[in-house]
Amino acid sequence: MVRARGLVVLILAAFVAFACGGTGGTGGAKGEIDIASDLPTSGADASSGLPTQYGAAFAVSQKATIQGFTLKFVPLDDAVNGKHDPTKGAQNVQQFISNKLILGMVGPFNSGVAAAEIPVGNNAPLAMISPSNTNECLTLAFDYCKSYAGYTAAELRPTGKNNYFRVAANDTFQGPAMADFAFDTLGLKKLAVWDDQEPFGLGVANNFATEFTKKGGTVVDRQGFKTKTKPDFHAWLNKAKTDLAEGIYAGATSATFGCLARSQSQGIFDPSSYYLGPDGIGDGQCIKDAGPTMGNDHLYASQGVADANANTTAAATIAAYKVAHPNSSDLGAYTFAGYDCAAILMDAIDRAITANGGNLPSRQQVIDQMAKTTAFKGLTGTYTLNDKGDPTTPALQIQQYKGGAWTTVKNIQL
Amino acid sequence: MNNYAVAALVQRLRTSVVTSPSGSLVNLVGTVVVAYVAVVAAQRIYQGGVTYFLQTMGFGLAQGSIFALVALGYTMVYGIIELINFAHGDVFTLGAFFSLALMPAFGLVEDKISGPALILPMLGLFVVTMLLCGVVNVVIERVAYRPLRRAPRLAPLITAIGMSALLEGIMFVWKGPFNLHYPGFLPETQVTIAPGVQIAAKALVVMAVALVLMVGLTFFIERTKLGKAMRATAQDSDAAQLMGIDINRTISATFFIGAVLAGAGGIIYGLYYNSVAAFDGFQYGLIAFTAAVFGGIGNIPGAALGGVLIGVIAAISDGYFFPAWTQVIIFSILIFVLVFRPTGLLGMRVPEK
Repeated sequence: MVRARGLVVLILAAFVAFACGGTGGTGGAKGEIDIASDLPTSGADASSGLPTQYGAAFAVSQKATIQGFTLKFVPLDDAVNGKHDPTKGAQNVQQFISNKLILGMVGPFNSGVAAAEIPVGNNAPLAMISPSNTNECLTLAFDYCKSYAGYTAAELRPTGKNNYFRVAANDTFQGPAMADFAFDTLGLKKLAVWDDQEPFGLGVANNFATEFTKKGGTVVDRQGFKTKTKPDFHAWLNKAKTDLAEGIYAGATSATFGCLARSQSQGIFDPSSYYLGPDGIGDGQCIKDAGPTMGNDHLYASQGVADANANTTAAATIAAYKVAHPNSSDLGAYTFAGYDCAAILMDAIDRAITANGGNLPSRQQVIDQMAKTTAFKGLTGTYTLNDKGDPTTPALQIQQYKGGAWTTVKNIQL
Repeated sequence: MNNYAVAALVQRLRTSVVTSPSGSLVNLVGTVVVAYVAVVAAQRIYQGGVTYFLQTMGFGLAQGSIFALVALGYTMVYGIIELINFAHGDVFTLGAFFSLALMPAFGLVEDKISGPALILPMLGLFVVTMLLCGVVNVVIERVAYRPLRRAPRLAPLITAIGMSALLEGIMFVWKGPFNLHYPGFLPETQVTIAPGVQIAAKALVVMAVALVLMVGLTFFIERTKLGKAMRATAQDSDAAQLMGIDINRTISATFFIGAVLAGAGGIIYGLYYNSVAAFDGFQYGLIAFTAAVFGGIGNIPGAALGGVLIGVIAAISDGYFFPAWTQVIIFSILIFVLVFRPTGLLGMRVPEK
């Protein structure tokens, strides 16, 4: 009997707790708005994806509420077996769409994933803003898009209206920026170029090679490697060395073994030879893959966003982030781009609420406000988004791995 | 469908290709293509010079040696119980993982140890890792294959795939899906093998290790009692049993030795490529299995030859043609060889029925 009474008390207590939790959970007076993110946060891609997610989450946690609505951050992982996966990404977007509280998403990280996600998001429609997608065909129409990327910007938008935005500079800038840097600053005249046979890697390598040749440099042994399995680079590296290449440009990411060729060049190339690549190799996994024996201070990577540290007004936020995330691996090249994406999205939601008389706006209203983003002061730059979804004045940086970290050696404003 | 059915089918296909009128056209086109590729390859190799050719062959032989070590395990197991042991590729990865975990215990820390001081701890690392892999494979055989020895052929094939997934899962949980850095203990220098001809020392080391192991295997198979028992069981297990050979022990020994070679392969794979991930083994195993079929399944020298040839073809493709097409080229040659020689280069050796 005593035990039974105890049980009743327990059940009652549980009910009370549940009821309290229920009323408490609605948060702000007007309800909840969710900001989603879709980034690769496990496996080889995690060293780029997680710091970006932390940046976006930090922006949401700082803002906390918009006009009486409580903000919540909903992150999903698009990596399968440790590698970014377009199908998984599209499923994640589908999941966001079915959650009525989500008004927009930050992501994806990879261009290949974006190509699968944009049509899904476009049909809903759901506002998307990517910190790091750089493939030019995602937003712009070039005659080569269909043949090399396999899609055109128009095909990705079945409704004919745009729902996709980004802050990163596209590959038409990133490849050439590194080519200029290699030729002008590093003084390199002859480089071997390989790509990973994926839309991003192939595109950035082609753009690099074109600009480097235009500058007067020579590209030798321009080849592609299938990266579904781990490639053996030895014979090709030896060919590049025989052809007197002063270094390698890798059109690849860490997930497609971008820096494995660096460690395999041990015993073929000199440790003081140069190894260059796009943002995809500018992360911690690259350094792990390259290993300590091959002179890591000769690794250079371009990044599709400006260095937030160069922006004096961002210093306080950066310091606050570093307090919240003291671990140095939580700070990636796209951390503050992720922050800016979330901030731009929340700013648009804010304006959409105002335009909607203080009520919860529709997803289309958020997209409309996103497209009107003008001179938004972010950490990585001041952003005005054009009707294609691109920033009107993209910025880039070149980073060198030195003293145990990727360090900005050049900022480029376009 | 057993081997002979496959062989008969391919034989029939081949006969029809050769005899039918359209077949002669196929033959003609095939010959022209092969001749053209051969001429282009010869021309490029000639233009590339001797040094470059030898360097490329060095990398090809190194890559091929590792394929060969893995292929031997496939072919030995297939030769004795006609099972494609899909878990074998993952035992190979396990070798790399075990050695990575054991390195600190042997004082093998990158940048801290180099030169001749490496030899003794490396030897220890090889022995312990190889034994561990051997034990794992014996356990796999005991748990997943032996109970199914008299079951239909498909059942152990499925448990083999299951074991492969299980091993990958264990490695995934153990180290995560990351590409792990494997210390580069191999020499970074070039070795002069002839006046003016230098090739990478690390390729030579890989070849030497593989060669020692393969010579050891040959000695074991040809000269020891257990080796003899393995050959007898492979030829006719019932007759072998009647002659007093303990079949279970012999099969266990086969799995053990196959895994010992795979374990060693895992270590030199890690040392040579400086990178290993939980899922590497499955794909690598498929190529090694291909090498075994290429050389003639069940045929031990065949597996070694098949592995080395695939490595060399890959290096020639990478070094003289297009790396992106390397896999296509390997498998095209494989199709070509199997259509005209279904038993593989050196002929199959499978149990008699």
